[in-house]
Amino acid sequence: MSDIQQTVYVVEDDEAVRDSLELLLKSDGKTVATFDNANAFLKDYSEDMAGCIVLDIRMPGMDGLELQKRLNERHSILPIIFVTGHGDVPMAVDAMKEGAVDFIQKPYREEALLEKIEVALSEDREQRKTLGEQKEILKRIKTLTPREAEIMDRMIAGQANKVIAIELEISQRTVEIHRSRVMHKMGTHSLAHLVRMVLSVKDRIDAS
Amino acid sequence: MYSTGCESMSEQVCASADATVLLVDDNPQNLKVLYETLKDKGYRLLIANDGKKALTLARRDRPEVILLDIMMPELDGYQVCQQLKANPETADSAVVFLSALDDVEAKVKGFSLGGADYISKPFQAAEVIARVKTHASVVRLERQLQQRNRQLESDQSRILNAISEGIYGLDASGDIIFANPAAEAIVRSSGDELIGSNFFLTHCRDWGCQGDEPGSESELPVQATCRLGTSEHRRGVTMTRPDGSVFSAEYRSSPKLEGDELLGAVVVFRDITEELEREAELKAAQDMVEEQREQLAHASRLSTLGEMAAGFAHEVNQPLTAITNYARVAMRLIDNDEVDLTLLRETLVKTEAQSHRASEVIRRIRQFVKKPASGKEVVPVAALLEDTRQFAEVDVRHNGGGVNVLVEDGVEDVMADPVQVQQVTLNLIRNALEATRAAGSSEPVNVTAVRTGNGFVRIDVTDRGTGLPEDAESKLFLPFYTTKPEGMGIGLPMCQSLIKSQGGEIGFERPEQGGARFYFTLPESSAAEPDALRHQAAE
Repeated sequence: MSDIQQTVYVVEDDEAVRDSLELLLKSDGKTVATFDNANAFLKDYSEDMAGCIVLDIRMPGMDGLELQKRLNERHSILPIIFVTGHGDVPMAVDAMKEGAVDFIQKPYREEALLEKIEVALSEDREQRKTLGEQKEILKRIKTLTPREAEIMDRMIAGQANKVIAIELEISQRTVEIHRSRVMHKMGTHSLAHLVRMVLSVKDRIDAS
Repeated sequence: MYSTGCESMSEQVCASADATVLLVDDNPQNLKVLYETLKDKGYRLLIANDGKKALTLARRDRPEVILLDIMMPELDGYQVCQQLKANPETADSAVVFLSALDDVEAKVKGFSLGGADYISKPFQAAEVIARVKTHASVVRLERQLQQRNRQLESDQSRILNAISEGIYGLDASGDIIFANPAAEAIVRSSGDELIGSNFFLTHCRDWGCQGDEPGSESELPVQATCRLGTSEHRRGVTMTRPDGSVFSAEYRSSPKLEGDELLGAVVVFRDITEELEREAELKAAQDMVEEQREQLAHASRLSTLGEMAAGFAHEVNQPLTAITNYARVAMRLIDNDEVDLTLLRETLVKTEAQSHRASEVIRRIRQFVKKPASGKEVVPVAALLEDTRQFAEVDVRHNGGGVNVLVEDGVEDVMADPVQVQQVTLNLIRNALEATRAAGSSEPVNVTAVRTGNGFVRIDVTDRGTGLPEDAESKLFLPFYTTKPEGMGIGLPMCQSLIKSQGGEIGFERPEQGGARFYFTLPESSAAEPDALRHQAAE
């Protein structure tokens, strides 16, 4: 298992369905948190939440699709399994377009639901691992001085030390010193690895 | 002007001939004296000098008074009087004998033959005038009275002939003593045959009793009136005609009383066979309309259920999902090395509760599509509206907003068909939810119930939706008129028909704050009760 504690968040307005699902998941060894409406979940939501959401698509007040939209706005990466009723296929399609992992139709077989939950949890783990790595890379990038960052951009762009030295009007020796500091701070020995690391967080750098 | 000549009779007409007086004497001298005595007294005077002519004049002119000499050749005064009295046309004239015979025997004979008075010769003018005056006025009054009587009789008979109801006059034993033409026509018999026959024997032959059997006689028509003098009114009684055919009759019988004495009965009756047939046809047509209304209402309920199918599937799937989950949990618990019996029991109790929940949904659906509807009964308003709200919530899930029910304190039970009222309420709530959703509003639909104060409960369904089109007033309750893209235009006309059949009204208003308000009224059960009690008493 992973080092992070994963929780299955059940958002369901129907008390019996909510209660039975909580018992069922707990008996399967899951950590479960339940919410009887979408607002309650949204209020408790934080980026640190790990696991997945089992979300009833139809609820009075804010429905499942609306909650999904709000979570997307807050960059949530929690996978969502929508629980739908008979005749809710169009809604399920919308949900999938918005990035839901899966949906399951009531009444469902326990195995099917648990299977989908497992898939969602492992996806969450993967995403969280990637996210962890990206965070580490960003953290390292932040330790670079402005000059080192400039040198790293040119290294990734494929410029030779000599070219960098001429363009920045510094000695080639100075470029070499900066370059080894970049490699050290970024924790790699290979330029290829450096390129891959920086590209994986490129979106986030552009965003910020 | 005056002649004693032998042209036998002559008319001497006075200016104002109030009464006619015939003077009869074979002696011209006597005639002259009489004439002189009575002339200018306001009479029309006729003169005859023998009995035969007197009779002719009497027949022709019907004099009020005839002064008649007894001693005459050929027909004497007695014979003339006899003949006058024998002829109805002349019988009413007052005959005053004139004779020199002043003996009692002659006077008695004259009176015995119908004479009215007697004047002895030689007469005193004043006496003649006084007696003539008295008899003339008596006869004239008698004649006026008879005239009036005849007129009344003919008026009455015209009325009795004109009346389309049959009329019998019965004596106390039930014998028919009078029958009008309508009665003859209804029983297809002539007055000659009817009069004298017994009403009960003639018309109640099929009643299985002849009035002699104890216990059953009170049931015979008109019997109570003939025997006890009580009035009767009965409708739909079977009467037999003399020819053996039967007809359904309605009759009223009233006692014929003279003082305290019961003389018999007057029966006014008519043949209502055709009327009953028409009533039966009308009833059949009404029943058919009612049945079709029921069927349409039922079809409409089915259609509503169809529209709500997704909602109901959800309502049933919720408990089924929970049951499945609980069952799995229970199995897991059993598979554990150490079985947590408390938790297992709890889980099973929850499972059972959910199965009840599912069957409750089914029950509600079955109740709603029940056919035919259950009929009118005393319905508590709050419970009915709450039940309907839960039903409608199936849709609320799809529509958001929700439904609030507010029943004013003191609202009485109503007398109505609960299924049909629920159908109407549900229809209005669903329309309201739809309008709310179309307006993008999340305001709840408000359902309220208040007393109107005149024996009705008014139920309002108010929304803050898209409101009503301008021409709604003229069209909203027309069949096949709809403002909804997928509407059929059946719902509201159906509601109207159902509410009217409950004795209530339905309508709508445009609230100031926008949206729409539909309302309907239902009679309070206490207001409807006397009617219901009467029905029970009738049964």
